[in-house]
Amino acid sequence: MLEARNLTKTYAGEGSPALDSVSMTVQPGDFVCITGRSGSGKSTLLNVLSTLLTPDTGEVLYEDMNLALLPSRKLDRLRGTEFSMVFQMHHLLPYMTAVENVCLTFMKGLGSVGTQRRNLAMECLERVGLSGKEHKLPGELSGGEQQRVAIARALVSEPRVIFADEPTGSLDKATGQEVMDILFGLNRDGITVVMVTHEPEYARLAGRHVQMEDGRIISG
Amino acid sequence: MNILTIPFRNLRRKLPRTLLLGLVFAVGISSVVTLNYLSSVVGESLEKKLTAYGANILVTPKTETLSVGYGGMQLGDVSFDIKYLDQTAAEAAIRSIDLDERISAVAPKFAILTRINDIPVGVIGVNWEQEISIKSYWAVDGTLPDREDQVLAGSAAATVLGLKVGDPVQVEGATFSVAGIIKPTGSEDDQVIFAPITALQQATGNPGRAHFIEVAALCAGCPIEDIVAQIREKLPDVEVTAMQQVVQQRMATIGFVKHLALIVSLIILVTACFMIGLSIFSAVNERKKEIGLMRAIGFSRVSVFAVFCLEAVIVGVLAAIVGYAGGFVASLELLKVLELAEGATLTFAPGHFVATLGAVSLLSLAASAYPAYRASCVEPSQALVML
Repeated sequence: MLEARNLTKTYAGEGSPALDSVSMTVQPGDFVCITGRSGSGKSTLLNVLSTLLTPDTGEVLYEDMNLALLPSRKLDRLRGTEFSMVFQMHHLLPYMTAVENVCLTFMKGLGSVGTQRRNLAMECLERVGLSGKEHKLPGELSGGEQQRVAIARALVSEPRVIFADEPTGSLDKATGQEVMDILFGLNRDGITVVMVTHEPEYARLAGRHVQMEDGRIISG
Repeated sequence: MNILTIPFRNLRRKLPRTLLLGLVFAVGISSVVTLNYLSSVVGESLEKKLTAYGANILVTPKTETLSVGYGGMQLGDVSFDIKYLDQTAAEAAIRSIDLDERISAVAPKFAILTRINDIPVGVIGVNWEQEISIKSYWAVDGTLPDREDQVLAGSAAATVLGLKVGDPVQVEGATFSVAGIIKPTGSEDDQVIFAPITALQQATGNPGRAHFIEVAALCAGCPIEDIVAQIREKLPDVEVTAMQQVVQQRMATIGFVKHLALIVSLIILVTACFMIGLSIFSAVNERKKEIGLMRAIGFSRVSVFAVFCLEAVIVGVLAAIVGYAGGFVASLELLKVLELAEGATLTFAPGHFVATLGAVSLLSLAASAYPAYRASCVEPSQALVML
């Protein structure tokens, strides 16, 4: 489904590469946890796989399409349909309600979001346990609830792959576990999840555990 | 909900800043609208006032003249081969030019030198209606003539000839009565007698002939040379001369008012554009996280660019509506207070309003284009990591 071949990436001003000849594959339905110390290159790998970052060399293939060869508008469309992102910080727009934040991905043009998509957003919020809080602003929700809205936002475009960058990083253990339960549930429903985390416990529960060090995959 | 929701919500979230920016922009637009309305109305008023101070185009037959002077003393021009204008044809030709609506008066003259009470005096045949319209500065003892058997006497001529209002006057065998005496003007008008042109032409056996025609035209929206050129085209065999000094003085006065308004308007608009640009720049820097997120969930660079441009355009359009209304009301009040609109009226121009909305939208778009472009260039991975 998703294949990385010999990815290298060196940030400007950095001596050592953030990614050093990284290759990996992700199969449909996988739950891949990427772990490693800070600076090991795990977030860079996630960003490259999710098309947010372009590698210096190497290539990423998605369903046998070389993503490096796709024009930027197709990559934008890929991120709005097939791929979704969940971040450590929820990154909700503070001036929009929960349901509006979930619908944000449909607000790219002058066409109205429409009832059907709005209902889909409500269903996504219900799926992450936020029924009745659709019209709350982010500031009126707890940290865990905000992260759940972010997951609902990732779900609403019905993606095939969710990329999650330390989604529990800013949450307490109990709330983090709730978020992980949702992600594991989505994976059981067939959505592929690629997640970066510091938590070895979550990595153990994942179907596949990739460990990184100094820009290289050392196991998995 | 669509892409407009994002800028609208953002503007509402930062309401004090939005209101302040909108207010400053509205004041700028209001100033521009006020200046333009005032300059237009004051220009129109000035045109009318200045037109009252005489003609500015002279139409004469082509004559050969010789300037005679010797030893530094100017003895005047000697004209020979004197020609006349066909009055009716010339008037019709002047009235038929494309810019005829700019012509306020066509005043033909037929001049003779005669003797009244055995004293030599110049008598000028004029069309009363046209002459009075270009000599609105005339003040008359008695009345302005309204009949073909009446004359007006210049103040100096009346004194020399001993004329009083109501006196009979014999000119080339025709009898006229003095309807009024023009109070001193300090011009050549003081020295002569004005008589009805038709009667004078008949009395001298020159029906339909005129020595020259004075045309009062003021072209605020176009150069006077255009009118002169059009008259020349219609009357190729006559001399058509713009009285440059008069014309330039008038055009300079009106031009000054309009140029001043234009320059101040441009300064205000450029300042307003800078303010909008800076505001959007600041918004882009503040909202990099939001931009990163939008890009991460599939917003294209064009969509991000549009979000920030729309924000500027929304502020611009709202400011234009408020500013235009404010400017129009301010113009009305200022014209009343300053009593500047004598002879001219201020009317709401819907086309002007729509043009203002369009222009302000374009300016807002132009002012926000660069910061919006910078927003579209934000790298999502960096924007999201840096937070």
